[in-house]
Amino acid sequence: MADYDRRPHGPRGGRKRRYREDDDYDRRQRRRYEEPLIVKVRRQLLTIAESAARRAEDDAISIARSVAENYGDEEFRNSFVDIAIDLVLEQPLKIPFIAATVLVANFQKSELVSDVLNRSSESLQKYVDVGAWREVKLLLRFLGCLQSIFEGDGIFPVLEELFARAVDLQTASSEDLLGLELVKIILFTIPYVMASPATGFESHATALLEKTDIIASTPHALVDLVNPFGPETGKPTATQSFISLVQTQLQNESSRSWELSCLPRPWKGAREALEADEAREEEGEPKSVEDGPKHPFPQITVPSPVKNGTRAIFPEVYLSVYANQDIETVPPTSDIASSLMRDVLVDTINILDFNRIATAKFLIDVDCYFTTNTFVKRATPFDRLRDLPGDRSQWKPEDVAVDAVFSQLFQLPSPEHKLVYYHSVLTECCKIAPAAIAPSLGRAIRFLYRGLETIDLDLSHRFLDWFSHHLSNFGFTWKWSEWVDDLELPLVHPRMAFITGALDKEIRLSFAQRIRGTLPDPYQDLITEGKEKDTPDFKYQSDTTPYAAEGRETMQLVRKKASNEEIQPVIDAIEEQAKSMGVEDPLLSSTDAFVTAICFVGSKSLSHVLSCIERNKERLLAIGPKSSQARRQIITSVMEYWVDQPGIGINIIDKLLNYTILTPLSVIEWALVDKLEAGTVLAKSHVFEMISATVGKVTNRLRQIVAARTQQGLYEPQLSVLDETLNREKVDMQALFKVIEDSIVSVAGGSNDELMERGDGSGNLPEDEIIRQWGQRWLRVFRRKAGVEESFITDAMATATPVGTIAPAPETVTSEIAPADGEMDVAEVEAGADFS
Amino acid sequence: MSTLLHNTVDRLDRPSAYYVGKNKRRKYSQDEPEKVEEPVDNLKNATTLYVGNLSFYTTEEQIHELFSKCGEIKRLVMGLDRYNKTPCGFCFVEYYTHQDALDCLKYVGGTKLDERIIRTDLDPGFEEGRQYGRGKSGGQVRDEYREEYDPGRGGYGRAYAEDQQRREEEDYGAGR
Repeated sequence: MADYDRRPHGPRGGRKRRYREDDDYDRRQRRRYEEPLIVKVRRQLLTIAESAARRAEDDAISIARSVAENYGDEEFRNSFVDIAIDLVLEQPLKIPFIAATVLVANFQKSELVSDVLNRSSESLQKYVDVGAWREVKLLLRFLGCLQSIFEGDGIFPVLEELFARAVDLQTASSEDLLGLELVKIILFTIPYVMASPATGFESHATALLEKTDIIASTPHALVDLVNPFGPETGKPTATQSFISLVQTQLQNESSRSWELSCLPRPWKGAREALEADEAREEEGEPKSVEDGPKHPFPQITVPSPVKNGTRAIFPEVYLSVYANQDIETVPPTSDIASSLMRDVLVDTINILDFNRIATAKFLIDVDCYFTTNTFVKRATPFDRLRDLPGDRSQWKPEDVAVDAVFSQLFQLPSPEHKLVYYHSVLTECCKIAPAAIAPSLGRAIRFLYRGLETIDLDLSHRFLDWFSHHLSNFGFTWKWSEWVDDLELPLVHPRMAFITGALDKEIRLSFAQRIRGTLPDPYQDLITEGKEKDTPDFKYQSDTTPYAAEGRETMQLVRKKASNEEIQPVIDAIEEQAKSMGVEDPLLSSTDAFVTAICFVGSKSLSHVLSCIERNKERLLAIGPKSSQARRQIITSVMEYWVDQPGIGINIIDKLLNYTILTPLSVIEWALVDKLEAGTVLAKSHVFEMISATVGKVTNRLRQIVAARTQQGLYEPQLSVLDETLNREKVDMQALFKVIEDSIVSVAGGSNDELMERGDGSGNLPEDEIIRQWGQRWLRVFRRKAGVEESFITDAMATATPVGTIAPAPETVTSEIAPADGEMDVAEVEAGADFS
Repeated sequence: MSTLLHNTVDRLDRPSAYYVGKNKRRKYSQDEPEKVEEPVDNLKNATTLYVGNLSFYTTEEQIHELFSKCGEIKRLVMGLDRYNKTPCGFCFVEYYTHQDALDCLKYVGGTKLDERIIRTDLDPGFEEGRQYGRGKSGGQVRDEYREEYDPGRGGYGRAYAEDQQRREEEDYGAGR
């Protein structure tokens, strides 16, 4: 297990297969070797509750005993304390079991528990100070599970203090989100306290809940922004936030005397076993295990105001891909189990991103960490659930696990890790337990597919991307036959857009012929001949194309790496000819020939086209400044050449942006002004991809500038230089979002001229409504993006060193190092330099 | 991001045993072992990954499609047969940031591309010449002696196949 028992030579340490005989010999030798107790206890602790075959209670007792008996051994003692806290922070599913071990230890060696509490409070204080709220939540949960060993009110005063901070924040601003995060911590601590052996805290919990209600239940303005399903047209929405849901669930639970039936209570079994042991040993009255000594609750100072850590906070919404099934395979939102499981699984997933296989294992084993019979047996088929007796749980552990991953994959505005991490977790789950997971994924896919018309557009693309990537890991097998009927739908229908988009992405990860082979007959037409061509035709090869001869000549010149000067005469020839034919902007014609030639010559691979671009950079760079129309012609030429494999086209556009041959604005204008085609372009998934990537490039750059501008210890004149760059680029970004807004808003509102001119001009064609909806969905995505970036900049700049701050004079520096006598340099304070 | 000194489960974003082992061997064969850089040190800010077990038929575009899920790719260098200059089953992917490279190890290494499980390893950086196979016949060393048939990597190992053929010729006479 990880670093804890990394021996210089593991069981197979350093030996290669050819030494097999030696290896066998070694192994026989090792069998006689007895593992030191400390190694055994570490392993027991690290793997506590992992196996359904072992009783976690027994392990808890055995661990506590061993550590208590070896309390004098510093290494033994410390490694227990370290691992216990590390597990709390890294494997939250195990918190109740670690706590049970500590409760048993308190009975046997309460000094050990003091050590654990000291270490917890050091750690907790550190995380409170930096605003790492997830870690705070987990440590508080751990302490909450230990409530019975604390003097007085135990954990409640610190929860009250967190609440007071939340109130301060909420009073200061109605837009506050940090306060909500604090309330969330409180709400997710209470159930663990109530499921602990501590008794008599019902009124504390209820009183606290009454207070949190006003904050948790007040709708936040941003909740609609993160709703995975956009508001339906014309209907006012009231999306419930995650914490308001938890608040309601907890209130219900308090009226049911805190049943909290899903939460494990390993302390109960441990207590019973211990009492039995005691009774046997002392042959007397069974002694209550509660009788361990009490400890003061660790001193924690909550700064005022509290600060937030590195991750921006947004409201959360509870999403389940198994909602509305005729059988409840996951806890309903009326049951607190839904939130408790979701919370701890999401933390597990996000904390363990450094080992997706471990994450997947936890997800598959989810039933080990909740009360027995919370779930049906693993891998019970969906159809079999109907046959279960009525009072039995129908919750499928796989569904609960998969649901948690999807909740992150579909987290708005963005999840904690890269999307591909969540892909990889689902892949691993499928690898570990294909029979259990694959059918669950199937039902999730069907749910999402059915929701394609209303799901947030960003999420619909995440779905597309995950779906194709997932299939690429499993031989591209999917039951396409069940969507055959949808092939009748118009091309702009979201389902058709999904099917064509998914097939395109599959092809990108594989190749057309391979994908064709995985598809039933009705889909064959979707894989056009053009998609199977490695090298698309060069249009100037046909004499019917205008400037055919010159186009071919250009191509030959590009192919033989001719110099800019050598190419010029052909370009001139095309422009002459264009002029004579009355073409308004001859540069467009020559640009088309030139860029198409580059695409054709570079069609063999990305590096071929890149070196082609590199060689002709000078001419390409000169086009844009001459005419913005010509700049957009570059995009047209690329995308037309790669019309059947738009993924390659997008890639080239992306590189052209890096070369600054194209500008982000030109890409947006190309797609949303030039090629809007009455809004039908909005149904093309590769166009969304291209626009998102382009916008992403701009916002990433801006974030880098913000990072540079807000770094500490920055003074004039750099401050002003960076500030100027920031402001300039911010204006550019806003302009970019404005263009997107202006072009789409007409489609969404149905006032786009071309859209109105379609068909009979009534705007009532069946497709017109679909197109308007595309417009609304696009708007939502890019308005959100604009808002998120805008507030990121505002938040970051709130603590930045103001322009005009001069580097402190050398004396100031020395005074800073000088013993803190409580006096700060006045000039420094006035300048507002924030060194915290 | 975990801030613990030790993790309770292994991390997937560490250099591979192969990389560490390779450097260790070098370390002991030299006279002044203390002068050799710690293998982990020169990977501290690595942005490049070695990618192995690709099919010879996997294209740059396919690699790009998968690997750009972890971040923008700065450079992609295909591994080529030293003599034929055809892809020989490996490549180097360079990202702009170290974090993207680490994420790739964690999220993409060990998953499938073109229906093969690919291998990723942190790499100190591409240098001219490293794009060629180091095997005797121009490909990767592992494709010389491989005894298993791998249709994605040219069938049997080249040296192995030659060996087989020679044996057959010895047994049955040449020209069969």
